[in-house]
Amino acid sequence: MRSYYLLTLAQLRIFLRNRQVLFWTLAFPIVLMVMLGSFLGNGNGVSITAAVVDQDKSEQSKNLVKEMEKNEAVSLEKSSNEKDVLDQLKQGDLTLVITIPKGYGENLAAGNRADPFKLPVYYNETNMAMSQVGLQLVDNAVDTISKKSVSYEPVVITESKGVEALNLRYIDFLVPGIVAMMIMSNNMNGVAGQISSWRERGILRRMQGTTLKASTFIAAQITARFMLNGLQAMIVLAVAWAAFGIEVRGSWLTVIAFVTLGTLAFMAIGFIIAGIAKTPESAGPIAGFLSFPMLFLGGVFFPIRDMPEFLQPFVQILPIAHLSHALRETMNVGASFLDLGMEAMILGGWLIGAFIVASFTFKWE
Amino acid sequence: METQQEIIKVQKLVKRYGDFTAVDGSEFSVHNGEVFGLLGPNGAGKTTTLEMLVGLRKPDEGTAIVGGFDITKELDKVKEVIGVQLQSTTLFELLTVDEILHLYGSFYREHISIPELIDDMLLTEKKNSRIKGLSGGQKQRLAIALALVHDPQIIFLDEPTTGLDPQARRTLWDIILRLKERGKTVVLTTHYMDEAHVLCDRIAIMDQGKLIALDTPSELVRNLQSDSAVEFKFNDEVDLALAEIDGVKQVGSQKDVHVLYTDDLQRTLTSLIAIASEKQLKLVDLQTRTATLEDVFIHMTGRRLREG
Repeated sequence: MRSYYLLTLAQLRIFLRNRQVLFWTLAFPIVLMVMLGSFLGNGNGVSITAAVVDQDKSEQSKNLVKEMEKNEAVSLEKSSNEKDVLDQLKQGDLTLVITIPKGYGENLAAGNRADPFKLPVYYNETNMAMSQVGLQLVDNAVDTISKKSVSYEPVVITESKGVEALNLRYIDFLVPGIVAMMIMSNNMNGVAGQISSWRERGILRRMQGTTLKASTFIAAQITARFMLNGLQAMIVLAVAWAAFGIEVRGSWLTVIAFVTLGTLAFMAIGFIIAGIAKTPESAGPIAGFLSFPMLFLGGVFFPIRDMPEFLQPFVQILPIAHLSHALRETMNVGASFLDLGMEAMILGGWLIGAFIVASFTFKWE
Repeated sequence: METQQEIIKVQKLVKRYGDFTAVDGSEFSVHNGEVFGLLGPNGAGKTTTLEMLVGLRKPDEGTAIVGGFDITKELDKVKEVIGVQLQSTTLFELLTVDEILHLYGSFYREHISIPELIDDMLLTEKKNSRIKGLSGGQKQRLAIALALVHDPQIIFLDEPTTGLDPQARRTLWDIILRLKERGKTVVLTTHYMDEAHVLCDRIAIMDQGKLIALDTPSELVRNLQSDSAVEFKFNDEVDLALAEIDGVKQVGSQKDVHVLYTDDLQRTLTSLIAIASEKQLKLVDLQTRTATLEDVFIHMTGRRLREG
């Protein structure tokens, strides 16, 4: 028991004293997350900048501007110089220019239905897609105003409902994937590299010369790595929370349970690689050979459903796919451990299968 | 001395790697409390023999009883009574001396006082230093400290002084001799003759997987039946019947270096110089010395312990 405790402590000390490894294993996922999150994080964020030139300055024209400002997708700037803003539109700095000509308020007050007031909206044809979206938004605002002015009562309305009833952004998708990636690379690549190098340098052989049991050694490895992973996952989640406001909606216990399962499964695979690799130099490429396909196919950065049809059966058995999916469901949707029984079973299957194979391939020297 | 207790009994150990037989039926015994040397050139099978005795390699044939336990059947018990220092072992470089000794101590049921052990191995100043920063001699003393941490009866040291500077070697010799004073049995391998001579009570000479001699150092030299050796080179290649020089008992020649073994140094030297003058040969690097274990080895195998 004391040797288990001291071995765990020794491994943690080795981690903490190897500052460079510690820093880069943590810096990589965080930088990746912040980078991808900042570029793609807001998902469908189409932003439209429009300028409004209010020449009428009446009660009604102010109402119209207010109505347009309500839409968050449009950033509206007010200007008094029509010529200036039209120049900006031509240069592409603005998407739309709306002019409210003099007489708008009077005309509206008069309520002439036969001859509706024409509101000029300028757009730049070279940027059609954006302009169309912008025009649609202005139309909506104008429509609301005209409906109000005639006290229009709608007969049919649409009600939009998200299936998950949540507003999910790409960053919500990304963060659990990054945590899964970190667990995979730290454990699979980390164990494979460290164990094969300890073997090469005779560290394992020397321990084999004592009465230490292999099971104690492996148990201590698992404990130390689990503690380190837990800490690193917490740091990544804390950064995600601070930078992007990502929260864990489900239970923390479920997150911890899957971090544990993932750690164990990938460590077991790491032990297999360490057993197969003849030298520490070959352990890296073997681990890379396994981790790269998993990174790109396993639902870390892209949803699995975007993968080509013929790859689907292959992708569905990858452990990382289930780890990232389970973490995502817990963090984003708040699924409970019981909802994720299938994922837990598949990861558990990998864990048991890999440990059986590892026990056959493992060598002290 | 007559009723020496056998603490290690090696019975026909064989280890093969493919077609190559690394250890070919070694048989010997080690007495309780002695320093026993396994001597031989690289590849003679010393390390393989030692690694079989400590359980790191499985013998293909034969077995050994170490501290009363059979290495093929009761390895766990063997490991409790032996301490091992292996050739070219690295340790966890980022741990400190104190930490790794406590760690290795925890691998056994009991361990001796770590601070005392650190003092004994002259590592007090380096107690809290990381292993990475230790010198070669300090690392080797730490490796021996790790072998002693559970107070074993028998200590195996595989080339403990290889690669160390002369001063560090002498420090290590003192440590090994102190272990003997405390009644420990030490089995060590070496290819340094002087080391074997100073440290070992008995020496087993190995060559090409076979045990070719086993005796005390002085007895091995005495069996050479010559007191002195004359070593020299000729300037040119010559075909000379060196054995016919006066007083020569044996001739050991290797490449261009010739060694004559004699009991009558003066007569042999005079005769050698006379013959050289007569045939107009120039003697180079002429030296005389007392016969050593090195000569025993050359005599038995026709080769030097360390080539080149």
